[in-house]
Amino acid sequence: MKIEIKDLHFTYPTGLEALQGISLTINSGEQVAIVGQNGAGKTTLVRHFNGLLKPTSGSVMIGDWDTAKYSVAKLASRVGYVFQNPDEQLFSRDVLTEVEFGPKNLGYSKEKIDELVKQALAWTELTDKTETNPYDLSPTWRKMVALASIIAMDTPIVIFDEPTTGQDFANVSRIAHVIAELKKQGKTVITITHDIDFCAENFERVIALSNGKILLDGKAREVLGQEEILAQTYVDPPQLTRLGKLLNLKETVINQEEFLNVIARNVG
Amino acid sequence: MHERLSFYIKRDSLIHRLNPLTKLVLVFAFIGIAFTFPWYWIGLFLFVFVLIPLAFIAKVSREYFFTATRLILPAAGFLFLMQALFQPIGEEIIFQFYFLDATRESLAFAFTIAARIIVMISAFTMLLLTTHPSELMSDLTRRGLPGQFAYVIISTLQILPQMQAKAQTIIAAQRSRGLDTESTFLKRAGSVLPLVGPLVFGSLVEVEERAIAIEARGFTSKKEKTSLHEVPDTVTDKTLRWILIILIILSILLNLWLS
Repeated sequence: MKIEIKDLHFTYPTGLEALQGISLTINSGEQVAIVGQNGAGKTTLVRHFNGLLKPTSGSVMIGDWDTAKYSVAKLASRVGYVFQNPDEQLFSRDVLTEVEFGPKNLGYSKEKIDELVKQALAWTELTDKTETNPYDLSPTWRKMVALASIIAMDTPIVIFDEPTTGQDFANVSRIAHVIAELKKQGKTVITITHDIDFCAENFERVIALSNGKILLDGKAREVLGQEEILAQTYVDPPQLTRLGKLLNLKETVINQEEFLNVIARNVG
Repeated sequence: MHERLSFYIKRDSLIHRLNPLTKLVLVFAFIGIAFTFPWYWIGLFLFVFVLIPLAFIAKVSREYFFTATRLILPAAGFLFLMQALFQPIGEEIIFQFYFLDATRESLAFAFTIAARIIVMISAFTMLLLTTHPSELMSDLTRRGLPGQFAYVIISTLQILPQMQAKAQTIIAAQRSRGLDTESTFLKRAGSVLPLVGPLVFGSLVEVEERAIAIEARGFTSKKEKTSLHEVPDTVTDKTLRWILIILIILSILLNLWLS
């Protein structure tokens, strides 16, 4: 499902102009990472995708729906949003009920709900924890429950707000796996992240925001190579990109695979 | 997203620069005079000729009038009606409505009470508008107020806006999961649990974390504590405080002498 944003402006009631004219198209099935310093407008932007915020001027279209005309509960059938802090959404006595909550709200059939929940639990490796109270799980596993509860809603667009913050390597790999599975199903994934290595390894397209405007938008390699421009929004290129620069590699590399390929070619 | 943690309006004025204790004494002077002076016009006089000019001097007139019209005047108006109609004093009936009657004396009494309340709440409002709560508390603890007491006051002032902000995020998170919080009453009643659960759990966790955090900084230590934040206390402050205290004592004496 296509997301189309035209000249989006948003001003908070306090007078802070958080978004200053954003125009953007995200096609069906794209994997997009949004980066930028704190206060750049990343969360404000993605909260427009599911209608939590409505544009002050301009428009946000999700498929053929104008978000200004649809309620959040309605838009939830098209856009899933995983919040940063899992404790702000978990309330059920056990993991299974928690994960079922979203799809039930969307009114899917019993069989479809069972199937979706089973799949979401398998992707997040929670299958053996369905009876556990989410509050008995460690914060990293609670994060996975929050993730599963949104994925089970089977929305064509999924948003993650800083999924890797405070997570150990095993959990970051799990999150990367979930994103890969969503990609296989042809879903659009949009992620806000400060973890630039995670971004380089899992996303095709990167958008850098700064002070409510788009600073850079393009293929991950093109964006993450622009060290000087990224510095304006306090983002460092991935470690391997910087190492590649120091080694005077001719091409910009952003992840391990590319780095090794270029080195192998140069040595060979 | 900016939340207001207190009434405090950060501005630079003569009143803002006063020591918090001086302002607190000023509040008690207002209350003392309004409640002890036997003349029924004293409250109104203080309100019009002292409190309103003070709001302008403190550069918080807009916020003060906002609070006055929304909170202080309705409360005082309600009190006035109750006292005027139900106070069983006086002979000369001015107004009657079935069993309710207002006499000259009950009207005068109600007017005095209402004016006193206006002065009292206004004075406190002025203190809160011009004094940051943590500044008030750090000044008072430095003068010997127990830390526990200051903690209770500060956390009470902060907990409401914090819980409000938290509730907003939780509502946003659940609506994103398709929870209908906007339509029929029945549907909304059903959506209470997903909202209250995380709020209560989260707040409990927060209280515990806060307790650990302040204990890690030696909250219950018996040693005398120093403060990073020095609250200035000038000669003007001290003089003003003595004048106000004398005023309070005089008003009490006057009251005793007249009665």
